[in-house]
Amino acid sequence: MKKYQLGEFEEVVMLTVGVLYDNAYGVSIKKEIEERLSRNVSVGALQTALRRLEDKGYLKSRDGEATEERAGRPKKYFQITALGKRAMEYTKTTREELWNSIPKVALNLKFASI
Amino acid sequence: MDKSKNTKPPQAFLRFFRWYCHPKLRNSIEGDLTELYHERILESGKKKADLRFAIDVLLLFRRGIIKPTEGYHSLNTYAMFKSYFKIGWRNLIKQKMFSAIKIGGFSLGIAACILIGLFIWDELSYDKYYPDANRIYRVLGVYNDNGQLQKGVHFQPPFAKAMLEDYAEIEKVGRYNNVELFGAANAEIRRADQDENLYEESITYFDQDLLDIFKLPFVYGNPSLALSKANSLVMTRSKAEKYFPHENPLGKMLIINDDKEHPYSVGGVIEDFPATSHLRFDFLLTLTGKEFWQGEQTSWCCSNYPTYVMLKPGVDYKELERKMTKGVLEKYIIPMMLKEGRTDAYEMVKKAHLELQPVNEIHLYSDGVQDGLAHGDIKFVWLFASVAGFILIIACINFINLSTAKSANRAREVGLRKVVGSLRSNLVNQFLAESLLYSVLSFVIGLMLASLLLPYFNILASKSLVLPLGYWWFVPGIFGASLIVGFFAGIYPSFYLSSFRPIQVLKGNLSLGSKSSSLRSALVVFQFTISIILIVGTFIIYRQMGYIINRKLGFEKDHVIYLEGTHMLGDKKIKTFKEELLKLSMVKSVSIGDYLPVQGTKRNGNQFFVEGKSKVEKPTSGQFWRVDHDYIKTMGMKMASGRDFDVKMASDSDAVVINQEMARKLGLKEAVGARIENYRGWNVIGVVEDFNFESLKQNIGPMAMVLGISPTIISIKLSAANTQHAIASITGLWKEFAPNQPVRFSFLDQSYARMYDDVQRMGKIFTSFALFAIIVACLGLFALSAFMVEQRAREIGIRIVLGASLKNIVRLLTQNFLKLVIISFLLAAPTAWYVMSIWLQDFVYRADVTWDIFALAGVLSMMIALGTVSYQAIRAALASPVTSLRSE
Repeated sequence: MKKYQLGEFEEVVMLTVGVLYDNAYGVSIKKEIEERLSRNVSVGALQTALRRLEDKGYLKSRDGEATEERAGRPKKYFQITALGKRAMEYTKTTREELWNSIPKVALNLKFASI
Repeated sequence: MDKSKNTKPPQAFLRFFRWYCHPKLRNSIEGDLTELYHERILESGKKKADLRFAIDVLLLFRRGIIKPTEGYHSLNTYAMFKSYFKIGWRNLIKQKMFSAIKIGGFSLGIAACILIGLFIWDELSYDKYYPDANRIYRVLGVYNDNGQLQKGVHFQPPFAKAMLEDYAEIEKVGRYNNVELFGAANAEIRRADQDENLYEESITYFDQDLLDIFKLPFVYGNPSLALSKANSLVMTRSKAEKYFPHENPLGKMLIINDDKEHPYSVGGVIEDFPATSHLRFDFLLTLTGKEFWQGEQTSWCCSNYPTYVMLKPGVDYKELERKMTKGVLEKYIIPMMLKEGRTDAYEMVKKAHLELQPVNEIHLYSDGVQDGLAHGDIKFVWLFASVAGFILIIACINFINLSTAKSANRAREVGLRKVVGSLRSNLVNQFLAESLLYSVLSFVIGLMLASLLLPYFNILASKSLVLPLGYWWFVPGIFGASLIVGFFAGIYPSFYLSSFRPIQVLKGNLSLGSKSSSLRSALVVFQFTISIILIVGTFIIYRQMGYIINRKLGFEKDHVIYLEGTHMLGDKKIKTFKEELLKLSMVKSVSIGDYLPVQGTKRNGNQFFVEGKSKVEKPTSGQFWRVDHDYIKTMGMKMASGRDFDVKMASDSDAVVINQEMARKLGLKEAVGARIENYRGWNVIGVVEDFNFESLKQNIGPMAMVLGISPTIISIKLSAANTQHAIASITGLWKEFAPNQPVRFSFLDQSYARMYDDVQRMGKIFTSFALFAIIVACLGLFALSAFMVEQRAREIGIRIVLGASLKNIVRLLTQNFLKLVIISFLLAAPTAWYVMSIWLQDFVYRADVTWDIFALAGVLSMMIALGTVSYQAIRAALASPVTSLRSE
């Protein structure tokens, strides 16, 4: 049963929003992910993910200040909602449960076979 | 940093982004992009930053970021229009019956208009397809005989060449000749390598120059050489496939009418003539090197060739007409007539002139032109166009009436809208939008109806029309028309509805829907006037038809069959065949002769004089028929005086039987025993009672009969019983005589009826559209009466409670409408009488227009109206008063 749907990239975005806490807007999220995970993130992919998460109700946004380097356009700050937090926790626990259920042998065998 | 602030990201991409991006996201994402852009300029320079910016914009072009294509408009008016359509749709759904009648009536009217429109379009599209159509003219010879115009298209053989030589304005002249006497029109044809003949009906002699003028599209062969060799022919594609399936017929031989000495070689194959061509032939035999008798091609005696000219570009044809009239008559006609010894040549010529008729006017403007072709008539185009217009008006009137009548239901809405700040113009817009909604819906349904009805209409009109769905203009055209019609139907109701004063309607003391009842009555009167005119018109057309078909003709058309193509037997064998036929028990008499009193059989024109007066008197032109001894008997004609031809009288070879008209025209009081002159003298032995041999639209002309052989047709009079059996035995007998020759039967009465096909067809088309109009008008009346009943429901309830009977109620509700129908009748009767007497003037023999037609039409329309209204009235009268009174 899919109680909370959260894709891999979506999860990364959610976590990053959490990490940035009060300073999570488009550019900062992008930089943070690129820095921490050393992978390239396009604005398009990020924005669609943010939109989707907002539609699901995992994130909420508010308009922030407009600065000079943004040519007067306001920032849109994101924040994790309660539902979003639950979804992240759910994903985390399911992963952990899965990790815990892997028999040690299987892991060893796998390593051995490599 | 300072520098970077002033540089701007690539504007084209920015604009693109702004265009596609969802407006809610636009600002924040654009901010992100700009911020990144400036950082990148510092990191890696402008070029890279520009590129990355472009890539980002392109990658942002994805679902979730792009604005939805609809449903998000920031301009307020769109939302309003959306709401108009929504409210309109809800109203439509809420009042199913009224909406159905509005839309149903409208779409019926539109279907009728589309059908008629197609018909007219087809009629108007005749002869437009020749590449040089605007330079091609047909030459008409007009003879004005004391105000009676005779228009002919046939000219002398050298006429064409003379014109080409005499007038520099003319680029080309071409002729054809499909006169039966010359062996054209119909013939038996076969391939040179086969025995079996096939009968063909559309054969003509044709000039190579006429091919050049029309530039008919060729399938095989060289267009400019196809008819240039003697004994060559051009055939149509479908005939080529019939005779030479899967072959290239170029150079192949065909034998015509068993003439093995002179076979024709195929010089070319053309596409079939389109249905919208005034000329339609299957075989074109060349006129090159053809001479039908010694000196025929150079003689100015006989006119048998329809002649067409192609003018050089920019020539004023009216001017040329005048020049030609003077030139041709003086140079050729007068000398010819003087040579013949006609002393009145100058006088005759004064009455004649030449005209040039543009080729694309031939189909519709050839009324009274004797060219033997089937024509349309511009009068019918107008008639149909007006019928279509009237049906559309009736449908629009329904719409107007119902909209204003149902205003009661909308008044409160209008009041409220005004109170919350709607302007009158907003309300007008709203109601116009609603009317457009109805109109577009009706057009869609009407179009579907039209395409459903089209096959039946094609049978009715004997056309092959198709909806021009393939043309780019059709759908936009129909859509545009629906907007225009919707606008005109909606303009009055929308002004009417938007005029309510909010205080009055909200207080509820406007007597709703009754305000404009006088206008509604006027419109109903108009609808019914038109319907009654159409009913009367239909009656008169049918009466005229019946009159023609059942009129005393002077011959008996029943139980006569005739065989065509019998000349193949040869002159000797045909006589034996006749004798064998007479031995059959059901055959009463048999006659060999091509001249039958129905159109489509042989005709000629000749000039008659009382003997010895040919140089003094004007000739009497008339028919000169060669018949055998049994002709008059077989056709059931009556002798007015004198006697029929007699086998025993050898002197009858000099004898002539004339009709009463001939005797009258020649001024012979005692015709029997007189002598008349054609090219030789004849003894008049008898006068036959006038009989019709042309359409009853024309007068009976003079005619004379002499003994002679014209072997193409054998007519057989049967005893009444069992024609099937008779045909079987006659076919059997024919097979013995001519095994390779298919036999063709016709019934005289059927051929006679076919002469009036066009009138009959018009009658049927007219009836169907009259029916359309009446149905649409009745739908309107039905809805209107329903509305009235609804409005007076309480009144009726109270009346019933107080003891009114069913009769009282029905009378109360119907008498208003009856009054309207009576007024309509009073208006319609004189109009219909006037219009139909114009139509009847076309006929020489007219049925009387009597009062009973009008009475019948009046009663009929009254009954239709009563039937429509009384359904609602009776329903109201039978309803329990409790339901209508309970609410108080």
